[in-house]
Amino acid sequence: MSKGAIVFAFNSPKVDYYSMAEYTAKRINHFLKLPVTIVTDEKSIPKNSSYKFDNVVISKPDTDNYFRGDVWINKGRFQAFQYSPYDETLLLDVDYMVNSDRLLKVFDLLQDYVCHENIAQLMIPKGEQEKLSANSFPALWATVLGFRKTEKSEQLFGCMKMIQKNYAHYANLYNFSPDIYRNDFALTIAHRLVNGHYYDNTNILPWNLMHVWLKTNLFVERKSKFNTKYTVIYDNHKNNKVRKEYITIKDMDFHVINKDVFLGLM
Amino acid sequence: MDTKKLVADMKARFEYNSAKHYLKEKYSSKLFVAEQGGYWKADLNTISFLNATTSKTIVLLDLYDIPVNVNVKKLREKLVTVYDTVMTEWHEEYKELESKR
Repeated sequence: MSKGAIVFAFNSPKVDYYSMAEYTAKRINHFLKLPVTIVTDEKSIPKNSSYKFDNVVISKPDTDNYFRGDVWINKGRFQAFQYSPYDETLLLDVDYMVNSDRLLKVFDLLQDYVCHENIAQLMIPKGEQEKLSANSFPALWATVLGFRKTEKSEQLFGCMKMIQKNYAHYANLYNFSPDIYRNDFALTIAHRLVNGHYYDNTNILPWNLMHVWLKTNLFVERKSKFNTKYTVIYDNHKNNKVRKEYITIKDMDFHVINKDVFLGLM
Repeated sequence: MDTKKLVADMKARFEYNSAKHYLKEKYSSKLFVAEQGGYWKADLNTISFLNATTSKTIVLLDLYDIPVNVNVKKLREKLVTVYDTVMTEWHEEYKELESKR
């Protein structure tokens, strides 16, 4: 049974997602020993790239999504099912920093698909879980999504496609903002739909997705190809003062919310 | 970048509770084990139960509420090994972090 990872990377005017994808793919190759397929467009591929992905899928970017005034090309993630050449696939965001072989455990759990529901935040021990809206249920995270090519997985991605297409309707139904399309929300609703609106933890990874949230900065301890040690600096705002706090971490995977912080680590 | 110089330049304080939280997140996620067709956490409850039972095989609910008929000795050995390895690493890194307080 073939295993591999798939990433989506379409450059925006401000962020070079393709470079981020290359960096992440090298780490996936190194720590997980998995081949990586990229879904991208021709414009994003640099002419002088030396890294060879296992497969390159050329797709048309959907530029109809804006975040804080900038285009955010995150739509079309439902195509992972169709584009993945592997029997078992890890769909990863390119801003996920692989520092260990932890994600191989995802394959032990795969029946149809698995993803994170619970998150933790570096430097914020009491950080809150995200919900679809204030009185709704917890949001799932599309940052790490493992899937097998089964009928149920196909239904999940089919539902994500439907939700993306009718996002305003679902936003109205679940009372969240339709202004920014989020794969996390599409996944959350799709997961509910394919399980008949019954909560089932079968598709949930039992450990937390670690986020590096805003106001948190990371510094590599030593610039090396596969560095896994970082100093984390957090601006703790309290009583109109900012106190800088730090810890050091090593060998731990995390998802970096701030793209500039991720680019600084490369 | 040298951590000592970085934190001195920024006048950053070591945050013990965040360090403890990071260690808990990192190492508790390593306690999960796929074994004998089920998915388990190598925690004290499960290990204690496996130590206490006198049966050779027993049906246990795994993390996903699936009943699995397990070989008690094999599962206990696996969970104890994982627990021991992970907790030893956790303790080692905790000592490193504590020295920074």
